[in-house]
Amino acid sequence: MNPALSQQLRNLAGLGVGLVAFMLYAVYFSPTQGWVFFFQLTVNGIILGSIYALIALGYSMVYGILKLLNFAHGDVYMIGAFIGFGVLTLLGGPLNPEIPVALLVLCMFVVAMLGSGFLGLAIERFAYRPLRDAPRIAPLISALGVAFFLENSALLLFGSQFRNYDGYDLISYNGIHVGGANGVFIQYLGVIVIVGAVLLMLALLALVRWTRLGKAMRAVSFDREGAAMMGIDPDRVIAATFFIGSALAGAAGVMFGLLFSQIYHLMGFLAGLKGFTAAVVGGIGSIPGAMLGGLLVGLIESWAKGYLNGNVSDLVVFGILIGVMLVRPSGLLGTPALQKV
Amino acid sequence: MRKYVVAALAAAGVAALATAAFGSTQSPSRANASASAATASVACGKTRTIGLAAPITGPAAAIGNQQVRWAKYYVKQWNAQKANKNKQIKVISGDTQLGVDTAFAVKVAKSFASNSKVLGVVGPAGSQEVVASTSSYKGGGLAFVSGSATRTTLTDGHTDGNRRGFFFRVVPNDSVQAPTVANYITGKLKAKRVYIIDDQETYSQGLANGVESRLKAKGVSTTRDSISQTASDFSSQIAKIPGNTQIIYIPWQLAPQAQAFGQQLKAAGKGSIKLFGSDGLFAPGTWKIAGSYDSFFPVDTNAGAVKAYVKAHHGDGEYFGAPSYVAAQVVVGAVTKACADGKASRAEVRKDIAKSKLKSSILGLPVSFTAGGDLKGGGFGVYQIQSNGSFKRIG
Amino acid sequence: MPENTPPTPEPAPAGIQIGVDQWVEQADERRQRRGVGGRIAHLWELLPPAGKLAFLTPAIIVPFLPFMNEGNLFNYGVFILIYALLALGLNVVVGFAGLLDLGYVAFFGFGAYIYSFLSGTHNEKSHIYTHHWSAQYSILLAVVICALLGLFLGSSSRRLLGDYLAIVTLFFGQAFVIFTNTTDPYGLTNGSNGLANVDPLNFRAFGHTLTINSVKGYYWFLLGCVVVVLIVLWCIAESRTGRAWKASREDPLAAEMMGMPVNRLKIMAFSLGAAIAGLAGSVFAAAQTGAFPQNFSTQVLILIYAVVILGGTGSLTGMIVGAIAIIATNQVLDSTSPPNNARVIFYVALVLGVVLTLRPSWKKIAVALVGTAVFGLALHAIVDAVWSRGTSGQVTSGGFLTGVIRHFVLLPTNPGRLAVYGYLLMIVLIIVVVQLKGWWRVIAFVPTLYLTAFVWENILVENPAVTRYVLFGALLIAVMTIRPQGLFGTAKVEIV
Repeated sequence: MNPALSQQLRNLAGLGVGLVAFMLYAVYFSPTQGWVFFFQLTVNGIILGSIYALIALGYSMVYGILKLLNFAHGDVYMIGAFIGFGVLTLLGGPLNPEIPVALLVLCMFVVAMLGSGFLGLAIERFAYRPLRDAPRIAPLISALGVAFFLENSALLLFGSQFRNYDGYDLISYNGIHVGGANGVFIQYLGVIVIVGAVLLMLALLALVRWTRLGKAMRAVSFDREGAAMMGIDPDRVIAATFFIGSALAGAAGVMFGLLFSQIYHLMGFLAGLKGFTAAVVGGIGSIPGAMLGGLLVGLIESWAKGYLNGNVSDLVVFGILIGVMLVRPSGLLGTPALQKV
Repeated sequence: MRKYVVAALAAAGVAALATAAFGSTQSPSRANASASAATASVACGKTRTIGLAAPITGPAAAIGNQQVRWAKYYVKQWNAQKANKNKQIKVISGDTQLGVDTAFAVKVAKSFASNSKVLGVVGPAGSQEVVASTSSYKGGGLAFVSGSATRTTLTDGHTDGNRRGFFFRVVPNDSVQAPTVANYITGKLKAKRVYIIDDQETYSQGLANGVESRLKAKGVSTTRDSISQTASDFSSQIAKIPGNTQIIYIPWQLAPQAQAFGQQLKAAGKGSIKLFGSDGLFAPGTWKIAGSYDSFFPVDTNAGAVKAYVKAHHGDGEYFGAPSYVAAQVVVGAVTKACADGKASRAEVRKDIAKSKLKSSILGLPVSFTAGGDLKGGGFGVYQIQSNGSFKRIG
Repeated sequence: MPENTPPTPEPAPAGIQIGVDQWVEQADERRQRRGVGGRIAHLWELLPPAGKLAFLTPAIIVPFLPFMNEGNLFNYGVFILIYALLALGLNVVVGFAGLLDLGYVAFFGFGAYIYSFLSGTHNEKSHIYTHHWSAQYSILLAVVICALLGLFLGSSSRRLLGDYLAIVTLFFGQAFVIFTNTTDPYGLTNGSNGLANVDPLNFRAFGHTLTINSVKGYYWFLLGCVVVVLIVLWCIAESRTGRAWKASREDPLAAEMMGMPVNRLKIMAFSLGAAIAGLAGSVFAAAQTGAFPQNFSTQVLILIYAVVILGGTGSLTGMIVGAIAIIATNQVLDSTSPPNNARVIFYVALVLGVVLTLRPSWKKIAVALVGTAVFGLALHAIVDAVWSRGTSGQVTSGGFLTGVIRHFVLLPTNPGRLAVYGYLLMIVLIIVVVQLKGWWRVIAFVPTLYLTAFVWENILVENPAVTRYVLFGALLIAVMTIRPQGLFGTAKVEIV
């Protein structure tokens, strides 16, 4: 077994032990005891984590190919949420939809994903491509600029009022009760989000594993010049990567809007940071790592809000990140970076 | 070696320059240029200027713009009167962006203070903004009259600073709001299990503390939690709320948050628990969870001015802004009185505001101020959100 | 000029130039200088640095003398100097040592909070803190603590490569804002209300007290600080440490081989940058008589970065010039400033932009500007005739340009959606203009300029506070893609 894989297995084992220990503590020893509460928080965490995982995938894919941390990704997520809201309002709004609800939701997703995908393409073309060979700082600062530009353009164009999806009014307030009326309650909307996220992630895995484009993406992320010599056009592959990553972020934006209703121009900032944390914790550059990281960040945030004070949950998430970075800089499922001399 | 010598000489030269400049600013007392603006008299002329500080943009923009519209409505009516032809009022607005950044309130305060034409200010809206911008207003000698800052300790003269003589408010404070809420919860609603969530701002924490202590004194079991003003995901906090809770008290400033919270509560299957808000959430159209309660200053809906406003704004009373009408009334009255002799200074305006006496106002009661700057008298009313989204007074 | 002189070389392409040695290239540039501009550049280079400083200092003071109105002096002068200090500090980390520090604003915040705590009075949660330390001690302690924090953060960079360092510092910055905003241990930070009753600068020694209470006083004090820091940094940049920083920035491995302790250098850079930020923070807290968590948000970080990038990383003069440019724009486009100043500056900047883009050819510039004017007037007349609601809007506080604007720009009564589409179309057109060349570019300029004026008058001028941030974001992108070395930096050349 190669050392990288054994390192990853050791990381996962450590993670598993930590999770089980926490579960036992939470259920039997914490001030708010009980399996039901724990599982309710876990379900909430998985739902939230699916959204973070979709955002983290975009970060991971772009970093894998370009070694670039795309700070503007969170804002693409925000624009996706606004596009979804626009479609919702155009087609009658949450209370009187003009077309069947299922079709409406599908429409929102498709339009938001396409819109964010094209936005990602444009960002890559104009803010990152000219800086392909520049020192590492340059595209990072350009990314900061794009993020700032997008946030404030959204503020300018859409105003500072929070917009409300009222997703529960659209779909349903009902859900599945597990374990009786006082058991764990999962809303239908939550189920839709999880299922949607899983489908998208499976589609991505299939793309990367079984299509030619996926092979090209893996090749370019491994060695760009070598891939070019083999007849792969790195520009097109990179553009496709950005499109897919941004489309996933757009889908995440619509999901967030449906679940938590409020969208505003700064929502991308915090969500982007957490998606970023997720990508790094899972091992940046690795797709399964991003999914694991996203789930983990969602769970930790949910547990922190449930067992600790609401104030410190963000700090806890960031603290975990810094801890993981210091102990395992390449993340849980990442490969340690080799510096060639 | 030579360049170090040159650099050292240059440093010495600049230090000498700076010391000379210091010499001219050294002073044992706190006299400074803007303090002189406080005592300086400004020629009044035909148009007098007042400042208006409110959150025009930002998450609290909904209520901020209501305050702006009501205040400007008063000024428009004042200017339209024939008797005021030579006593026109001009309003300069400053955007304090409540809920985004308290530092904006400070910037607005400083720009008003340094504009020698401004004689008095209406606003700011949030209690934390009052605390932050006090030293700027005091430094400029400006009086500021708020239509919505209700934290009790603002006027006690020592807790968050001393602003007596400068800060006034035309609404009753939280030492009135908290007992009203607590009495209604125990008396009318007869609730025994209450969950309290604050939004980590000073206004919210003050109110929550007040209500919590009073409820506990009456034997109600209370639990306390908090969220931040930037949070959208309340699922974990909602999971913590026991299913048999009767009332959730949410003294927040941002109505969209309350709306999202209510929806997520219902989605978690706990929709039967009633929400109870405070004056910051009085935003019909934004917060529309039917059946929720809200405490707010009583507005006399039969007053002529209120009826005219409602008519001019398509039937929407926008009552959150109504106290700003009264605040504008107070400031404009004081400015006009101080300008009676053709010249006015900010200190004069402050004195005239402190001595204001309005026999009646659209708030349904006469307006005069205590020594601390609080409104004399006045109470809070309890409203309930109807199924059509409007707020109806029920207590 | 005789026909066989070599043609003026094309402006250097962005990024790396292959095959040209930096010194040779600079010597070539110097020889190409012509005309009055060339003579002045030549004389400027002959001046010793102290002479340059002597020229720059009045250049900073003089423009502010007419603004000695308090409000303007505070908003412009004091803020420019504070941001200049911050930019100088960030320059040490990013420009000298080449480390991307995205949490820099946290040190600014620490300096402000420590000063506010030590020289103020506040009580929260029944803890009453009334220290009224003299400013010299509290500032000193703030600087020292920030330096130690910089040390601590820098030492975490040992195990982290460039990008990971950016991540960790970013989270450090975020954690600071969240920490001060939400948690309130022992009432130290007072949560989201910040610390409000902060003393002004009181220097107490040997029985005498020097109180800086007026805006002018702060302005002079900050000027002194900036000058002192400039001199210190210049000395360090010319010293062994400065050269070692530059070497480790260019190629850390080669520097390590040459015996430079690269890790220790990184930590020193962090520490020094943090110390300067601490100084800036303390004076800022005193000037504002308060410290609030949102004073140290990401927006401030982006502003500081805009200053550093525009000025040119590594260049001290650039920091000052960048600070003046960015903060002046920031203030002109503020919601409390009269909009007409912004309007004048906007149109001037637009014309300047056209001139700079189409530079050598006056014909092209003339065609572009005149073409836009004619296009605008014609379009306005047509729309006026066809659809009256398209032109009957109001010019927002027009001032003396109202007449011109009313005839030139389309002002629909209800801009709403139109303005939004116009904005998006404007971005598309700007991108198109950047891609085209030659006379196609000139032709594309005409609708683009007109649309920009339209968007300005209908959306941007009503929200100047947001417009400026949009501008700064676009500025960062533009500078990095077009001229990464900023105004005064040196272009990176790579010898292959």
